[in-house]
Amino acid sequence: MPVSENKGYREFRRGFWAEGVPFIWISGITVLLLIGMIAGLIGIIVASGAGNFWPANVAKLTLKDGSYLLGPVTDREEEGAAARTQVKIANRDVFGLDFKWVDDSEIVKTEYPADAAVIERMEYGHLQGFILSFKEGDTVTPATSAGFFDMVAAKHRQVSEAREEMKSVQERITHERRSLTEIEIAMRKLSSGPASDLPETKVRLDEMQKQFDAKSETLAASLQGPERELERLEALAACCEVEVAISDGSTKTVPLMNAVDIYRPNGMGPFSKAAYYAGKAVSFLVDWPRESNTEGGVYPAIFGTVMMVFLMVIICTPLGVMTALYMHEYAKPGPALSAVRMAVNNLAGVPSIVFGIFGLGFFVYFVGGGLDALFFADKLPEPTFGTGGILWASLTLALLTVPVVVVSTLEGLAAVPRANREGSLALGASKFQTIWNVVLPNAMPGILTGVILAISRAAGEVAPLMITGVVKLVSELPVDASWPFFHLDRKFMHLGFHIYDVGFQSPNVEAAKPMVYTTTGLLLLIVVALNLVAIVLRNKLRNKYRGSAL
Amino acid sequence: MEQTVVNELDAVAVHVRNLDFYYGQVQALFGINMNIKPRQVTAFIGPSGCGKSTLLRCFNRMNEVLLGTRIAGDILIHGSDIYREGTRLESLRKRVGMVFQKSNPFPMTIFENIAFGPRMRGLREKAQLEGIVERSLKQADLWQEVKDRLNRSALDLSGGQQQRLCIARALANEPEIILMDEPASALDPISTAKIEETIQELRTNYTIVIVTHNLQQAARCSDYTAFFYLGKLVEMDATAKIFQTPTQKRTEDYISGKFG
Repeated sequence: MPVSENKGYREFRRGFWAEGVPFIWISGITVLLLIGMIAGLIGIIVASGAGNFWPANVAKLTLKDGSYLLGPVTDREEEGAAARTQVKIANRDVFGLDFKWVDDSEIVKTEYPADAAVIERMEYGHLQGFILSFKEGDTVTPATSAGFFDMVAAKHRQVSEAREEMKSVQERITHERRSLTEIEIAMRKLSSGPASDLPETKVRLDEMQKQFDAKSETLAASLQGPERELERLEALAACCEVEVAISDGSTKTVPLMNAVDIYRPNGMGPFSKAAYYAGKAVSFLVDWPRESNTEGGVYPAIFGTVMMVFLMVIICTPLGVMTALYMHEYAKPGPALSAVRMAVNNLAGVPSIVFGIFGLGFFVYFVGGGLDALFFADKLPEPTFGTGGILWASLTLALLTVPVVVVSTLEGLAAVPRANREGSLALGASKFQTIWNVVLPNAMPGILTGVILAISRAAGEVAPLMITGVVKLVSELPVDASWPFFHLDRKFMHLGFHIYDVGFQSPNVEAAKPMVYTTTGLLLLIVVALNLVAIVLRNKLRNKYRGSAL
Repeated sequence: MEQTVVNELDAVAVHVRNLDFYYGQVQALFGINMNIKPRQVTAFIGPSGCGKSTLLRCFNRMNEVLLGTRIAGDILIHGSDIYREGTRLESLRKRVGMVFQKSNPFPMTIFENIAFGPRMRGLREKAQLEGIVERSLKQADLWQEVKDRLNRSALDLSGGQQQRLCIARALANEPEIILMDEPASALDPISTAKIEETIQELRTNYTIVIVTHNLQQAARCSDYTAFFYLGKLVEMDATAKIFQTPTQKRTEDYISGKFG
């Protein structure tokens, strides 16, 4: 029955278009595409960054000419019959570069010798080779002697401890000396000040000089102990060296003090490798960077990022909420309010670098410069607040994110049921009491949504920070044990800028690549963690208010 | 002469004189005049949009929450003009409590809900607040049901309990007048009966004005009934009279269900 078949097909076709089947498919595919992109991005970051700390096996590639390359195989390329292999040859100070491509046809033999050692140094990256001997003073122990590597490891631990102790003793001494420096500064200020010619100034200066001398004498006496301790530690740390044969046939001597880690990956089992991995991962989180940020940890950058985000939230939330409150609860609707609303919305679209430049001009130079002239004039021309710092960066980011908070809060306020407002007013609560006790708590989920969006935006922002206070490397955190504990004038490190710096500004980009991925993954994790806190809080509140909007 | 006026006003809880009300350009109430007797239940009836809720909300100036409303005429509550300049809305609304059509407990504990009004007036003492909460809940017939869970969320209560909580919340303010805007229209018959019972118990101490769509409800629980139609007060009298021998044809038509 061809007729009815035809009819059935027509009906199917009509239904196909009328029910929008193609549209459903297209929208489904877009969602898939988006998920794929996100998963791909995260996949690449995790795949390239997660293996960063894993101690890769060290291959010994013997070449046709009799020489050999020593190092982990990092890449392989095949072009038809020709294939080549990339080896991380390390030993940057000797070879000049970290990686080397070698044609497979050149390779005679590939093996993984168990005694191939990797020494992670404080400078110049890894040293790869075969340890020949250990030297302590004049005593030389050859590597072939029994228990050699255990002995080296024990010594290395000792030296590392001494190195750590040196640092803390050094810090104590600097701390003790600070009072002297303060007197010195006061004297300099007095002698270069406008009253420097007056006789009473001279008397005062003499007095201070005497005070200074006395203090330095007592200090010298009290610091004798620590200084002697320091000398002892220095001697201890500098006690030993290891001698290593490297692949170009020469030998290299490494002071044990300069070694961060000594290990032989080929001889390590999966468990000791995992332990090594965990140790490295922890030190990545808690250590300071070394070697122009390409090695070591990112602790100051984590600290800077999180602290900046917290400061930003503390500043932008009240600002945004109060703005939205006025706009929604007090301002009379009209052209003026519409204009403000539009301005707020447009503010969210201003490029972040513009905010950065504004922050530099207004906060750093104008406000910071003004503060310096008022309160820190004695330190000028060295600026205190008149230069980039974490406070100015946070303020700039707060400006950047305030529109987001305002818009979400406005939405939250609009969603507060009228019944609740009227209920409160009908009980004799004033408008302010109603807003404070009923409206604001009810709008809290909306406000927190704004905070979540603000955190996401602020934590990933780099451009405005580069000119308002982020630096490549800091020597002090913005929070420490010295009074007044919070040093909001200090410059800080930031993970986003760290990624840029390590990935594009470091002298050895190729070697730093895994570090960039690891840092990116970490930044993502931190943003997710910060957001999770806010999301959990919001869901708690939502549960509390569930049903109130019935 | 003066003395008699005052006495007359004393016998009147709410006195409405030539009241006109506008939402923007639209006039919603036309020349309303009425006296509401103290310690009686007065019901406002009439079809949707007749202005009965609007008039009710004039008594505690709740209409001012909306923008663009305008009022002309006078409302005197126990002799004082509530639209006089300098009237404090907070103290007016403390004297004239309100229960809304849809129960609107705050997302707080039962205790906090009841204590809300007194707290807003600065009462901080825990023992005193506890006393008020217990008394109000007892007056609203809710005490037995919730006395063990005062610190649980008010939103966990059933619909009828929530509405009685709202009545208790209004009572905590010790108002003189309680306005009820269709308090049982969203409730099942059993909850409605409970609310009506509560109203019967409250009538001895409070002046109650109730807006209702439910004619039986008006007949059951009110002493006086006012019938509104298209923004005008058609007739107001003792409930029995309105329901049995109304003087106006329209009232009779409405009550007998000829239109609605």
